[in-house]
Amino acid sequence: MADARSTSRRVLAAVPLVLVCAFLVFPLLIVVLSSFSDRNSFRFPPDGWSLRWYGQVFENAQWLQSLSVSAQLVLIVVPLVVILGTLGGYAVGAGEFPGRRVLALIFLAPIAVPAVMLGLALLHQLQGAGLVGTPVALVLAHLLVTFPFCVRVAAVSAAGIDPRLNRAARSLGASPLRAFLTVTLPLMRPGILAAAFLGAVISLGEVAVSVFVAGASGVTVPVRVYSAVQVQLEPTIAAVSTLLLAASVLVIALLDRFLNVSRLL
Amino acid sequence: MTHQGARPVPAVEPGPPARRGLRNRAAAFRHPGALAAVVPSVFLVGAFVVPLAGLLVLSLRPTDALNNPLPGVGLDQYREVFTTSYLWGSVVESLGLAVRVSLTCAVLAYPVAWFLARSPGRTSRTIVFTIALSPLLTSEVVRSFGWRIVMSGEGPVNSTLQALGLIDESLPLLRSPWTVFLAVVHVLLPFAIITLTASLTAIDGSLLRASASLGASRIRTFLRVVLPLSAPGLVAGTVLVFSLTMGIYVTPLLVGGANQQLAGLRIQNEAMVSFDQPRAAALSFVLLVVTLLACAAITALGRVWERGNRG
Repeated sequence: MADARSTSRRVLAAVPLVLVCAFLVFPLLIVVLSSFSDRNSFRFPPDGWSLRWYGQVFENAQWLQSLSVSAQLVLIVVPLVVILGTLGGYAVGAGEFPGRRVLALIFLAPIAVPAVMLGLALLHQLQGAGLVGTPVALVLAHLLVTFPFCVRVAAVSAAGIDPRLNRAARSLGASPLRAFLTVTLPLMRPGILAAAFLGAVISLGEVAVSVFVAGASGVTVPVRVYSAVQVQLEPTIAAVSTLLLAASVLVIALLDRFLNVSRLL
Repeated sequence: MTHQGARPVPAVEPGPPARRGLRNRAAAFRHPGALAAVVPSVFLVGAFVVPLAGLLVLSLRPTDALNNPLPGVGLDQYREVFTTSYLWGSVVESLGLAVRVSLTCAVLAYPVAWFLARSPGRTSRTIVFTIALSPLLTSEVVRSFGWRIVMSGEGPVNSTLQALGLIDESLPLLRSPWTVFLAVVHVLLPFAIITLTASLTAIDGSLLRASASLGASRIRTFLRVVLPLSAPGLVAGTVLVFSLTMGIYVTPLLVGGANQQLAGLRIQNEAMVSFDQPRAAALSFVLLVVTLLACAAITALGRVWERGNRG
């Protein structure tokens, strides 16, 4: 009887967990489901299933252009932000210099500033230089948004390194640079990988800052979805959104294969 | 990704700090960490500090009839922000939304964070973890689009209610402020879950067993042991969710439309629709200061609470 009671208690305790999880997944599930609808409507449940909206995405020059812009942007932003994030994370996570804590706060500061403000500030700055709508503007915006998150995971990784290892390398005659490259950097590998995947996922979905500086030519997939949703809801948006979702899921799955994400965040 | 400080770094420098002279101080700046900080610092100055400073200068500029900034410095824009009801009112409205959203997120985060911190099963943890993070790792536009479908006239909510015979005609859910509220909670809940999980993981399991063996009920154990010990994560998560709600604009815009009294939306509207950049700049600085003050207040309240728990 005690067993039955504890079992029912456990089931009861799981109810809030299941409800919250359902709340988190539900809208995303609905997007995926409606992308396979065979009608140009968002009736639920859909009357029939088809892949026609995916076909339309790949026949539409604008969506194709946006897919290519987003893909190129990720390929440029991720290596750059990994370098910046690794250096910054090492500095604030394992560095020993006056002002390290203040610097750590400054590195995370872009998170505390509303995205709408970051976008406006970048827009104003880049207007003066005539850079709005150029690839430079988009890359800068994405670097700024991804940087704090990448620094954060890299810093956690760097702080976990035993400083004696570095001192051992130095006392064995390695130069500071050599010690950094052959001891510290390999030990920071999980943090660096996490920074890369996190940067990729955030860059793929970034919209709040991008819409300010994207102009007419640098329309990424999320920016185009942003404009399209405001005009009219159509199932091609659901298909594109599902593709975007699939790309993020792929990145996360890869990440989980390489390291235990939940320990890092 | 959490807003808690990095792990404490063990002291490396040999010798007591008292014996460090000026020369050692100079040498400290030559630590490879200081060198590594140079490039990211330069980037952050160029992409963050300088643009924000430029925005501050812009917010002090008077404007002509076409909203173009004129030379000169003055507080006209700020006076305008504080005296125009649809500008200052939007900041107040955002404050209200931020309070409701951060409280809701704090409550909803507990069951998930508790499971993530305490569950022994690796597979079930990975599944829940992926679900918990899925909104965070999906673009804001995709999530907002999802809510648009969910709440639309023929969407799942309306068709379920009709199928159950509770309503005859579909409800205009998209125009309800509750829809925007739900969508914003959905966007920000993962941040609360992550920070809270970090705190709950750190709780020593033997404390819970001790509490139980001394006869405390589960609810009592939660209120007297778990809740106080999770205070740092709760406060950090609340601050994060609060400040992110204050500036949010993409989700409310896409879910509820442009006609809402929210500061983020007003800034976006002033800058991209009315093309009044100085006014948008002034409003965004007012929003930033109000947000920072509110976050400082939350942190202070959290400190008082933690001290009360210890005493």
